[in-house]
Amino acid sequence: MSASTNTRMQPGSTVLWEKGDAAGHDALGTRTFGFWLYMLTDAMVYAALFAAFGVLAHNAGLTSKSMLASVFDAQAAYRDTIVLFASVLAYGYAMVALKKGSRTGVAIGIIVATILGVIFLNMVTGDLEHLFSQGVVPQLNGFLSIVFTLVIYHALHIVVGVLWMLVMLMQMGRDGFTSNVVYRLINLRIFWHFQAVIWVFLFVFVYLQGKVI
Amino acid sequence: MFVHLQGPWNPVWGRLSLQAIPYQNPILVGTFLFAMIAALAIVGAVFYFRAGPYLWREWFTTVDHKKIGVMYCLLGLVMLFRGFIDALMIRSQQAMAVGPHSPGYLGALHGYLTPFHIGQVYTAHGLIMVVFAATPLLVGIMNIVVPLQIGARDMAYPYLNALGFWLTAAAAALVMLSLFVGNFAHGGWYGFLPYFELPYSPGVGVDYWMWAFQLSAIGTTMGSINLIATIVKMRAPGMTWMRMPIFTWASLSTNLIALTSFPVLMVSLALLGLDRYFGTHFYTAGQGGNLMLYNDLFWVWGHPEVYFLILPAFGMMSEIIPTFSEKTLFGYATMVVASFAIGGVSWGVWLHHFFTMAAEPSVNSFYSVTTMLVGIPTGVKVFNWIFTMYRGRVRFELPMLWALLALFLLLVGGMTGMMNAFAASDYMWHNGVFVVAHFHMMVLLIASSIFGAVEYWFPKVFGFKLEQRWGKWFFWFMVLGTAWVFVPMFILGFAGMTRRLDYVPVTQWAPYLRVMLVGMAFYVVALGFFVAHLYVSLRDRMKNRVGADPWGTTRNLEWMTHSPVPAYNFAFIPRVHARDEWAWRKEHGMANLGNESFEDIHMPRNTGVPVLLGALSFALCFALVWRIWWLAAACLGLVVLVIILRSFARKTDEVIPATTVAGVERAAQDALASPARG
Amino acid sequence: MTHSAENPLHHPEVHQASLSGYVANFLITVLVMTAALWLARDNSLPAGSLVGWTSLLALVAVLVQAYLLLHMNWSKAQIWHTVAMILFVPLFVVMIGLTMWMFHGLYQRTAIAMPHQTMAAPMHPAPAASAAAHTVKAA
Repeated sequence: MSASTNTRMQPGSTVLWEKGDAAGHDALGTRTFGFWLYMLTDAMVYAALFAAFGVLAHNAGLTSKSMLASVFDAQAAYRDTIVLFASVLAYGYAMVALKKGSRTGVAIGIIVATILGVIFLNMVTGDLEHLFSQGVVPQLNGFLSIVFTLVIYHALHIVVGVLWMLVMLMQMGRDGFTSNVVYRLINLRIFWHFQAVIWVFLFVFVYLQGKVI
Repeated sequence: MFVHLQGPWNPVWGRLSLQAIPYQNPILVGTFLFAMIAALAIVGAVFYFRAGPYLWREWFTTVDHKKIGVMYCLLGLVMLFRGFIDALMIRSQQAMAVGPHSPGYLGALHGYLTPFHIGQVYTAHGLIMVVFAATPLLVGIMNIVVPLQIGARDMAYPYLNALGFWLTAAAAALVMLSLFVGNFAHGGWYGFLPYFELPYSPGVGVDYWMWAFQLSAIGTTMGSINLIATIVKMRAPGMTWMRMPIFTWASLSTNLIALTSFPVLMVSLALLGLDRYFGTHFYTAGQGGNLMLYNDLFWVWGHPEVYFLILPAFGMMSEIIPTFSEKTLFGYATMVVASFAIGGVSWGVWLHHFFTMAAEPSVNSFYSVTTMLVGIPTGVKVFNWIFTMYRGRVRFELPMLWALLALFLLLVGGMTGMMNAFAASDYMWHNGVFVVAHFHMMVLLIASSIFGAVEYWFPKVFGFKLEQRWGKWFFWFMVLGTAWVFVPMFILGFAGMTRRLDYVPVTQWAPYLRVMLVGMAFYVVALGFFVAHLYVSLRDRMKNRVGADPWGTTRNLEWMTHSPVPAYNFAFIPRVHARDEWAWRKEHGMANLGNESFEDIHMPRNTGVPVLLGALSFALCFALVWRIWWLAAACLGLVVLVIILRSFARKTDEVIPATTVAGVERAAQDALASPARG
Repeated sequence: MTHSAENPLHHPEVHQASLSGYVANFLITVLVMTAALWLARDNSLPAGSLVGWTSLLALVAVLVQAYLLLHMNWSKAQIWHTVAMILFVPLFVVMIGLTMWMFHGLYQRTAIAMPHQTMAAPMHPAPAASAAAHTVKAA
């Protein structure tokens, strides 16, 4: 009763019911918040995969030294890093253009980000194909299973991101900056920038530290 | 790329063939006939009453949180029935198959179920009760109540809400289908590694289990995102955090648990999937795999999941007990803190599910201590409920009876849980029925709270009260059944009986097992009373019609709108002035239900897309279970395509005109005026 | 969603985009990753310090990204994003940390060392003899 007794109000002067529809709810902020929650669940997926990585790294010795060296090609991964970070920067540029309401600016930013995303994918799949052709496959042992799973799971996100960017280009072209398009552009920004965060973990904990395990 | 299979496979049908249909098994044929008759009766009724278009328009395509909640509850009830039949089979098999001289029927050496069959039965029982009965019932009630309690017109993402439901329904359908096409996993609901690997479990049972589990996990995660965003972003003006109803707090903490832990379940199952489909070595016994990694990841989810189930139950008790004690809840702030403390600690206790893994003593001690810590916030809650009743005017109506039963079961389950927390003693009864009896106390607590909550909120959703007479018979027979089944189970646990036996070698245990069977008979009678309860309530629905506040002493926002709740929940969004706003308004003489100058209301539009996505996911999982690659690829492509196409839809909202709102409000007022209230 | 009357471009989450912030993020993270690559260039560092230093660099990069890319801050538009993030991070640490701790001990007590094992932090090679002695017959 504590909350009720110390407030004294007169029935006549108290506002009991709100007028208007949304009652001050921030629709766009609600959308991005939910998407951010999803993004965090995805981060939890990565955390679980990294926990598995930590456990299975105990048996890294099953893979020969030369194989490990070809899997953890730090130079190649560094090249991937630059391309992905540049793509993220391009998408950031699109977001700055969105602030100004420039459709061309947003389109240019997204197209550059898409192209860089495709280049990233191309490099990653090229590396994977090369490894597979040499017989370095996830089926060899538990450690390689988790390493490839991490890399491929991240690459799948890039595929989704690229698809999403193409869809957004179409929707922007059709509708302009409606609230639906704007919140999706922001969600895509969260998604795309998040991939850079995950890549930092992948680059450091898998590609750089994998060599010494 | 895919792992080499033992046994036949062809590109068109995958592993599917006529042999997959278990027509030799009389139990399954009987089940199939029962299911077919039930299905024909339902379909026939739909056609007879020409209800098809109505069902599609008003229910299947709905994005209304209340209707989705009701569908969740119906799904939960159906699966609860299935899980109960499984329980009946386990108990009767164990009562029959005692000692070397016990007779065998239907091809079993002892009892009437072969080891392979009873393996599937207990696996299905566990999975169904946790994931497809308790979870949908709880999610359904949260879905209905939370937006009403915070004064919102719908959830934050109504479309996602429907999608979450249809994915859960698709997963449940997959489990049911495994009865008649193929078989189900037979190694326990949480899976055993490396036993669940392809070489040791080459059939489709594990795949059914894995994909149904995975699909429901996705559905539950979606639901949790939705509820959290709804609570954080959609509260009515004036509802500060510390004015939020306690059930909403419980829902928030429980969905935070779901949000954080379900992804780990998805990983643990996905890695098993990679092992089974691609031949990787995550959990294999050799080749650098680690089978304990599965247990680790699974229980990282598994223990928070237990609290995901129990926190809403606590929330329900916290709503029911103040209403029927005619007092405000004792210790609101400590209740909130306790909910979050339980949620937080739940993330640091998972190893107690496998104390016997041979981790270091320091590790086992750590997890022992964290597990015991759970007792502190739980104890706080128990005392808060007791102090709420203390010097209150306690009315023993049905919801209150259920809440009190839940409180009692919590004491039994909690105390035995503390016993399980000791690593040293756990070495004695690990995998024994003592543990089984303990966690059944806890899930029966959850079930009791659910029954109480259904009794409590039913009039809000449907506009009439459930009758009390048959409901009380149902209640007391559930009490009887619980006592007769689980007291002997605790005793057998001390005697050293292990869980999941298809044959009981110790003849001295036979009396206890028979007592448990009597308990099951009480449960069956209770089920009959439950049906009578529902039937009589539905028959007398016009007599039992109620107004906005059927219990008279309710306290929160959900009781400030009409019963049944209109599609838009509130004609006007309420402004909140106090914790227990409705009690505050009644106290200050402001208990009117709004004024006359109604406005247009924007609501999301119904859509069939979630049903379609649910159906496609079902087909996708079915194709993956039977390794029909073309179908799987087609379904996956269609899912992506449907999602993209849906994102191009422009008209996702609609307006309820002010005149319609006025009409609905007036009709509700009139309905209230005609019969006697309460 | 579509019925919002305001111009969505005026929303604070649109306005948090900043070119200088994104460029600064790009430069800093590339620099930090380059430093990490340089540390690992020829396996000259001992494994323990390589892991330590590169992990520290990863932490720096991620903090910069959280602030500049993901806009984690206490503004009205972002506060619940930040709170959600802060809620999750300890769980990542708890899950990975406790798992590593559990399995570190488990490997010492149960597993026989692998044939050509080159162990690094955070796990140490298990002496096979003592491992056998400590093995507990677990279920």
